Amino acid sequence: MLDELRELYRYRELLWTLVLRELRVRYKNSYLGFFWSLIVPLVTVAVLTIVFKRVMGMVIPNYSAYVLAAFLPWMYFQTALLDSSQSVLAQIQLVKKVYFPREILPLAAVLANLIHFALALVVFFVYLLGYVNAPLLPSVILLPVLVFFQTLLIAGLSLIISCLNVFYEDTKYIVSIGLQLMFYLVPVIYFSEQVYHAQIASPEWQRWIYLVYHLNPVAMLMTAYRKILLPPITVQQVGAVQKQTFASLPMDWGLLAVACAVSVLIFILGYAFFNRRKWDFAEQP
Amino acid sequence: MRDIAILLEHVSKSYRLSHQPYSSLKGILLSMFRYRRRIEVHQALSDVSLSIQHGETVGLIGVNGSGKSTLLAIVARVIRPSTGTVQVNGRVAPLLQLGVGFHPDLTGLENVYFNGIILGLTRQQITERLPSIVRFAELEEFIDTPVRAYSSGMVLRLGFAIAVHTDPEIILMDEVLAVGDEAFQHKCLRKIQEFQREGRTILIVSHDMNQVRQVATRTIWLHQGRIMADGATDEVVSRYLAFAEEMEKQAL
Repeated sequence: MLDELRELYRYRELLWTLVLRELRVRYKNSYLGFFWSLIVPLVTVAVLTIVFKRVMGMVIPNYSAYVLAAFLPWMYFQTALLDSSQSVLAQIQLVKKVYFPREILPLAAVLANLIHFALALVVFFVYLLGYVNAPLLPSVILLPVLVFFQTLLIAGLSLIISCLNVFYEDTKYIVSIGLQLMFYLVPVIYFSEQVYHAQIASPEWQRWIYLVYHLNPVAMLMTAYRKILLPPITVQQVGAVQKQTFASLPMDWGLLAVACAVSVLIFILGYAFFNRRKWDFAEQP
Repeated sequence: MRDIAILLEHVSKSYRLSHQPYSSLKGILLSMFRYRRRIEVHQALSDVSLSIQHGETVGLIGVNGSGKSTLLAIVARVIRPSTGTVQVNGRVAPLLQLGVGFHPDLTGLENVYFNGIILGLTRQQITERLPSIVRFAELEEFIDTPVRAYSSGMVLRLGFAIAVHTDPEIILMDEVLAVGDEAFQHKCLRKIQEFQREGRTILIVSHDMNQVRQVATRTIWLHQGRIMADGATDEVVSRYLAFAEEMEKQAL
């Protein structure tokens, strides 16, 4: 694997060129261009906020900021996986003719989305400091750490998905369904505290459900983004029958460490898997 | 050893061919319920050994499916042989088929950078060679236009212009000159002759025997993945043509 990484480093200029090309091409023919990648999350969060505050009865000051803090990383996860699933297949004619490290194709898709995510985060901070008027927490310095491990996780999954999609084009459909379902299994529209107090569990199970839920590294990362970016908050849900209050839980550093370790592991396994199959790409009829 | 550009020793390549036209999850699930999976092994190359010196221009001829393109792909390091060893000394530039590697929404100029880098140039080298590339492609007026507005001849010229400016030691051409008009073909032939004078190695796949006779000093005839003949172009080409005629008679 070290040899493969060294070869990848040798081709870094190609990687960077591809990243720029992806960024340039995406909004080339639209009037608003790059702003589309800000409009989509902002409009989504506005709709989610209205629905969950007015219809579902969530009583949380600045709910929209909490949704945005998890929704932006989720968008990064989702669009990067969808983009990269097609990345090798879309360039298969080139793959059949020219030698270059094949992993450049999915990795460029991931990095282009990372840049979009970084720009969206800038907008998030403007929103936070300008509109919500929330103070910046010192834990914000951990943001790059979360982004780093999330990127490793995404890269590992992208390598697996883009490779499988060359041989079985069903992959991209499975990924898109999987992402739709996963959206409900990560804390974006609700809070991890609500998982802790889930109705299905008797009190002694609470801890276990919370733990199993957060063994999904994506869920843990979303929870962590919220906790490092925004102050702890008491969630109130006004239901039809009763009013429920969920006190904020502290960050579970142990679970976060597990999520980071899993992300590294997925990257290593994904890269190894990709490397085993990447010389078969050109042989696909 | 320093004079050898390409060395293949006992190279074989087999593909696993599945009889399902599409590989899909459904196909896999269905095939699990069949008695046996019908996977056929197709031997694209069997026990091919050859060595090409620097400065040689070698033609590769043979009927469709004889393994010419597989051989070229192995030299380009795009496909790995099933068995045998391959040694390539020098920078390889494959001449891409029409439009491969071009993004239609980007301008000619943006595509030059992308294509050049993928063929192994640095950004700076491309900037230095840009005027010459654009002049060779005769696209001075259109270089800032998106490639999708180009005619196929313009795309072809640009692709060829980039490839010949990568300063390759070994040039691989797979039927690339078949398209393009008379004037462009002449230009390409002149460029090939220039490369020959400069001592570069050229490997050219073609069905156009006149073209092979015109440029190749040596020709290799492949049939069903084996080398049938390897030698002086005139001799190999006439043997191949006699063989092809014989095949045609039998078919009638």
